[in-house]
Amino acid sequence: MTIDWSWISAHTDDLTTLTLSHLQAALTAVALGLLVSLPLAVVAHRIPRLRGFLLGASNVLFTIPSIAIFVLLLPVSGLTRTTTVTGLTVYTLVVLLRNTVEGLDSVPVKVKEAAKAMGTRPLRTLLTVEFPLALPVIMAGVRIATVMSISLVSVATYIGDGGLGQLFTDGFQRDFPTPVIAGVVLTLLLAVVADAALVAVQYALTPWTRRRA
Amino acid sequence: MYELFKNLGTWLTSGSQWTGPDGIAHRLAEHLQYSLLATLIAAAIGLPLGLLIGHTGKGAFLAINLASFGRALPTVGLVVLVFLAGGLSMLPVYVALVALAVPAIVTNTYAGMTAVDPEVKDAARGQGMRGHQVLFQVEFPLALPLIMTGLRLALIQVVATATIAAYVSFGGLGRYVFDGLAQRDLVQVLGGAVLVAVVAVVLDVALASLQRFLFRHRTA
Amino acid sequence: MNRRTVLGGLFAVASVPALSACAGGITSLNGSGSTAGGAGSSKGGVTIGTANFTENQVLGYLYAAALQGAGVKTTVRPNLGTREIVIPALRGGDIDLLPEYQGALLNYLAPKVTATESGEMQNALTQALPAGLQVLPYGMAEDSDAFVVTRETARKYGLTSLADLKKQNGHLVIGAAPEVKKRQVGAVGLKDVYGVEFKEFKSLDSDGPLVKGALKKGDVDVANLFTTDTDIRANDWVVLTDPEHLIPSQHIVPLIADRKADDTVRKALARLGNLLTTAQLTELNRQVDKDKKDPEDVANAYARQHGLVR
Repeated sequence: MTIDWSWISAHTDDLTTLTLSHLQAALTAVALGLLVSLPLAVVAHRIPRLRGFLLGASNVLFTIPSIAIFVLLLPVSGLTRTTTVTGLTVYTLVVLLRNTVEGLDSVPVKVKEAAKAMGTRPLRTLLTVEFPLALPVIMAGVRIATVMSISLVSVATYIGDGGLGQLFTDGFQRDFPTPVIAGVVLTLLLAVVADAALVAVQYALTPWTRRRA
Repeated sequence: MYELFKNLGTWLTSGSQWTGPDGIAHRLAEHLQYSLLATLIAAAIGLPLGLLIGHTGKGAFLAINLASFGRALPTVGLVVLVFLAGGLSMLPVYVALVALAVPAIVTNTYAGMTAVDPEVKDAARGQGMRGHQVLFQVEFPLALPLIMTGLRLALIQVVATATIAAYVSFGGLGRYVFDGLAQRDLVQVLGGAVLVAVVAVVLDVALASLQRFLFRHRTA
Repeated sequence: MNRRTVLGGLFAVASVPALSACAGGITSLNGSGSTAGGAGSSKGGVTIGTANFTENQVLGYLYAAALQGAGVKTTVRPNLGTREIVIPALRGGDIDLLPEYQGALLNYLAPKVTATESGEMQNALTQALPAGLQVLPYGMAEDSDAFVVTRETARKYGLTSLADLKKQNGHLVIGAAPEVKKRQVGAVGLKDVYGVEFKEFKSLDSDGPLVKGALKKGDVDVANLFTTDTDIRANDWVVLTDPEHLIPSQHIVPLIADRKADDTVRKALARLGNLLTTAQLTELNRQVDKDKKDPEDVANAYARQHGLVR
């Protein structure tokens, strides 16, 4: 199996476009996943009865093959980016919800009581005390969800989207390894870069965790 | 939506749907075979690796990073790549499934090993236990709950992902998903998806029971 | 993160409510291009969809080149899936234009209609199409389904026509794309018209590496390919004849949404249709499959060479 370098140099524009489209799908899904998970996590954290239900539901969704979710969304949103992003969002939930709940659980009761004693309102406590303290655990979830989404986007090639995944079906149909190799390598690179960027974001967002010296 | 679920009921319960080479019974058996074999191979690779890293404390950084790298591998790409390199066989499917399962097994095994209290290990050594005795009689049993979690997670992902076998002409429950996509037969797709989810959940329950059984055995 | 608990509540709920709960929600992120109503206009650009096999991509990019030559903005969405998937997408507004095949399209829309002559088929298509869609005049180039066996298999079982397959009922394995199992020009028609029953239907791909590989290896006895595939001749495979005319002759025909069908588009596609021959299309397919050229490049080169674009 050889790499046809001339194909790669002739397709740098296409590869860039596909990489960006791939990244956009993955990041949008994680962002939407957070948007859904954060409030649900608060509910699960506060209301023990719903906790099992919500976490269980996200776990069951995780066991459904991603390709099936994409196909089952076709009657709703057709062959669009929306279908891809919605399907991916479903998959981010299991990690994001679980981690956010655990993050909120990890906030010491004493800290919350102190905030209450100082007369801070519950919503304010949530936003200014609980979420920031839960951030390291939430960010760990965001990192896993992001890497997972980046790897999953390519499945959407079966419904005509899929970013770099289009290189896989193309190479498959034509018995042509070069696009496939390019797609795999770029997906891995994307995952590594995105993960490093998230580490940097976390570092910037949580200055208190490094004031140890 | 209601119509879809009603038809799903008919699809799942019709006798003819369960028999023959494209019947649910046969597809289910294929799916189980792919999933269990892949997870077994992954365990044979991932368990010793995780135990070794955890026991010696060497190579942890590399292994954990490789594991997260592995998590980013696109399954579809891997299947196609191995197919183009080696021709049509189940090999591409198994390579992709094993690559998917190994990271979860390695990281959880390693995490289980590092969670073992160092004082316990010291005490074992103080009693004159050798390295391998400490590993197998102290560390491994104590790490077992997390190791099992890793295996369960790996198995669930493998069961869901084994649908890909159908993309390269093989069977399993993915056949319903891919055929249903090509024919735009959403009932078939949903049927396949539900069966996959049920298999994943049932296998997970089975492993959880096994885990409880092992615990009882240990504390007895 | 602590993954110990990832699976904790796995079986806490049934999947049904969870599944249906996820389907709604998010509104369109990219905006659909549909601007229904009134006479068609290609001013806003035309989105061309293509099915999941080589030739359809080549045709999609040829349509794009022809339209660009006429000053119409185009987007090509390659490799979307089967006819069963792309036609609903055309109706739903995700795409505007599809390269189609007369007979197969007619079979999809109206399986009972028996038109076989091209003009007849064109009329039947116009009648069978749902509101909002139309076919433009068909082109010269033709491509039909073919049921193919290896020379060896043909000799062994004495096969020359589809009718001969019946003698081996229950013994032969057919390989084709999954959708062919449910199509008239496929397992359904072979049974109805020729009384053929296979031992097994193997779901493979549309004239791709799986079905051709399986035929070569002997995993399938009969393969569904396209007549414009040069591999048939290259491998000395035998195309089974069709005495009962199960397989309609089919010219390539543009299927378009009314909203985009203006005179500019009609003229540009008619010009391409009157130019492109079956032999040329076969050669373009070969360049993509064998020389690994991009369908887009191959199409653009053809368009330049024949003066469709300046």
